[in-house]
Amino acid sequence: MTAAVENGAHMPAGAVDDAPFGGPDGPMQGLKVLDLAWVVAGPMIGRNLADFGATVIRVESSKRVETARNMGPFYGGVQDAQRSSLFGNCNASKFGLTLDLAQEDGRDVVRDLVKWADVVVESFAPGQMKRWGLGYDKLRELNPRLIMLSTSLMGQTGPWTALAGFGNIGAAMAGYQGLVGPQDGLPIGPYGPYTDYVGPRFGLAALLSALDWRRTSGEGCWLDIAQAEAGMQMLAPAIADYAATGRVAKAEANRDAQMAPHGVFPSLAPEGADPRFVAIAARTDAEWMALAGVMGLDDLAADPALATLEGRKAAEDMLEARISEWTSARSPEDAEAALQAAGTPAYVVATAADLGRDPQIAEQGHFVNVPGYDWEVIVERCKMDLSETPARVARPAPTFGRDREKVLSEILGYDAARIEALDKVGALS
Amino acid sequence: MTDEAPARTGFLSPYRVLDLSDHRGLIAGRMFAQLGADVVQIEPPQGSNGRKVGPFDDRGRSMHWESYAAGKRSLVLDPDAPGDRETLLALVAKADFVFESRGPNEPSRLTPDEIAAANPAIIHMIATPYGMTGPKADYAESDLVLWASGGPLAPTAMMGGTPTRISVPQAWTHASADAVGGGLIAHFARLRSGKGQLVSTSAQRSATQSTLSGSLADVVGQPDFSLRPRYTGSKKPLDLSGSGARTQRSKWPSKDGLLEIHLAIGPATGRFTNNFMKLLIDRGALSPEFHDWDWGTIHHRIMADEIDDDDLERVREEVGRFLLELGHEEAVQLAIERKLLLAPVSTVKDLVESPHEAARDFFDVAKGSDGAPVTLPGPFAMTEAPGFMRGVGAPALGAHSEAVLTEWLGSAARASAAPATATPTMEGAVR
Repeated sequence: MTAAVENGAHMPAGAVDDAPFGGPDGPMQGLKVLDLAWVVAGPMIGRNLADFGATVIRVESSKRVETARNMGPFYGGVQDAQRSSLFGNCNASKFGLTLDLAQEDGRDVVRDLVKWADVVVESFAPGQMKRWGLGYDKLRELNPRLIMLSTSLMGQTGPWTALAGFGNIGAAMAGYQGLVGPQDGLPIGPYGPYTDYVGPRFGLAALLSALDWRRTSGEGCWLDIAQAEAGMQMLAPAIADYAATGRVAKAEANRDAQMAPHGVFPSLAPEGADPRFVAIAARTDAEWMALAGVMGLDDLAADPALATLEGRKAAEDMLEARISEWTSARSPEDAEAALQAAGTPAYVVATAADLGRDPQIAEQGHFVNVPGYDWEVIVERCKMDLSETPARVARPAPTFGRDREKVLSEILGYDAARIEALDKVGALS
Repeated sequence: MTDEAPARTGFLSPYRVLDLSDHRGLIAGRMFAQLGADVVQIEPPQGSNGRKVGPFDDRGRSMHWESYAAGKRSLVLDPDAPGDRETLLALVAKADFVFESRGPNEPSRLTPDEIAAANPAIIHMIATPYGMTGPKADYAESDLVLWASGGPLAPTAMMGGTPTRISVPQAWTHASADAVGGGLIAHFARLRSGKGQLVSTSAQRSATQSTLSGSLADVVGQPDFSLRPRYTGSKKPLDLSGSGARTQRSKWPSKDGLLEIHLAIGPATGRFTNNFMKLLIDRGALSPEFHDWDWGTIHHRIMADEIDDDDLERVREEVGRFLLELGHEEAVQLAIERKLLLAPVSTVKDLVESPHEAARDFFDVAKGSDGAPVTLPGPFAMTEAPGFMRGVGAPALGAHSEAVLTEWLGSAARASAAPATATPTMEGAVR
């Protein structure tokens, strides 16, 4: 135990910088972030910081357009690199600058931004920053207190560091692709680049913790986040289980060793429409009885063999067939409401349309309108609700080079001649 | 872990975390512990219900507990014992963070107001199922049901017919990890104001992050980009993403199990498929009629009906024959050398035995709650800075009751603590 904690003090004594950030724009106001990341895993870290007031400058290329800009859904359904809501969701509240990092002039701008920044986030292929002369060792010479966060599929070191790819490859390397699917046959994997969703959570925690450590140590550091390793954190029980028992976790459809019934069931859907489903779980024997009561499964409720988890697991196929009969005759909303009224977990298997009309999502203010463009911009609200210093979306994600003046003149103090010279050689593209 | 607290190292080593979570939110305290904080798990005399969540090893240990309570200390408090409440409030007064995982109206030992009154500087984090308020805030929950509610379950129907969850539960881990991030941001607010606050997350909202922003499709006005795409006419919607999020085939039987590769189409990622087809050509595994296909622009030919589904299926057949002979390590080498979006569908066995992770010294083997070894994922960031605590397993029930009370409250408070005599039982397991 440190002396500071022993005294019941909540802050470490002797901090170099006791309260480095905060102001009317949020608790991270004053934190300066150079965001060189792209697609999802890296940019989501900066999004969370920017929502709490940090100045985050997102640098991108307008020539080699980043993947997220080419992916939907698009605002108004218009396929346009300026209107991707995926990009919009990952980069709201940030400022935007386009730079050509293939040019030394562009990299010089990065160096000036590094001198300004507290934090650099980057997600290039491992080694790329170094090849540009922008490796951590070089950047630390420019700014000894810099915290650099590099996020990549496999990390910055190791024999497979050069394995490239999107998050579906990360999901494969982290162990997830085989964990979704039928009990027999080929797995299907989770939806999309799963480690892109997991990685930023761990990246944000590591980064904020390093920033706190910097207050007292005065030192910067380099954080090497491997998406695969971040993903494995959330498979820890299965990893421990293999090491202890040799059991290899596999896809179990929607079944659960400790709950039955437990599954996804077909619902009534209008003719010609996409199929709809409801998810249902009975966590306890009592919830099974409640479920059976709601569904009118009196014969099953009366069967003592089904009163225990063991008995229900043995009869799972039959139970699922009987439940499907009931769910197929009504909408998933009706099934959800009836089961929840009896205290049993159930929910519509929500599509985008369902999320758009879910009263709980609406009450939580999950979808936020962000003014600023000719088209309507909507993003998802920050997932963290802070009662006293809430997140807010300061501005929509940048269009290409939107904040050039702000960044180059205001922040870096470049004069008009220098900006023009950079523009002329194409460094600002 | 022994009764003697090791010298803590890690970015958060100055801080104390009171962990009031149940089985659902254990990973939040685990993250704090990995970062070096002194995390004390409060357990009832019968033990946390996190000790009753499977899988269990042959020694009867919960792998859920061994993994997600690793690095914490255990303090038993008996809610029925006189003085329990006072002890808990005294601990709250000494903590920097407190964490809970529960619905807003589920029973709790202390209310948010009581916690704030006992320590106005404390950061109180709650991971909830559906949020602190709202018409469904008190809905019953489970991992599957929460995953359904937030959107990532539905689109898996595109591949499998029935929406299917990840067989290792995920919904609460996302909400709990988000609470950690929010708690640390609240900490920076506290550094300035001296005041704590309530930080809450919703597992439903946290799950929306696992839809690749497909969750936004309807509200932004592109409903036909629904999580389950509609098929118009005879044409399937083309997948121009890099991840194979919306295409049919990405898992292929191989020599060692399964391989992941998605035959990507379009300007963003078609070049990777070209790289892969070049490999097949070099190995004599691709029919000449497919040699000149440019996967970066092939969608134009598909839309113009120059290439149809049968052609694509014949390519997939040839790809399947090639991959069937490929081993996992060779696949990784080829992916690196030839810039392919190809990887083994790693099992937990592959992970634990990975030469890459061995070279990075990623996994930890720690003494578990009964002293026997347990294998744990290591730091979630590699750094030369003293950022992480490693190699400490989960605590035995009440192993640190005396030490924690002495260190946090001073010896005078020890008398009020309940002795740790009970042992956890495997019966009545709940999820």
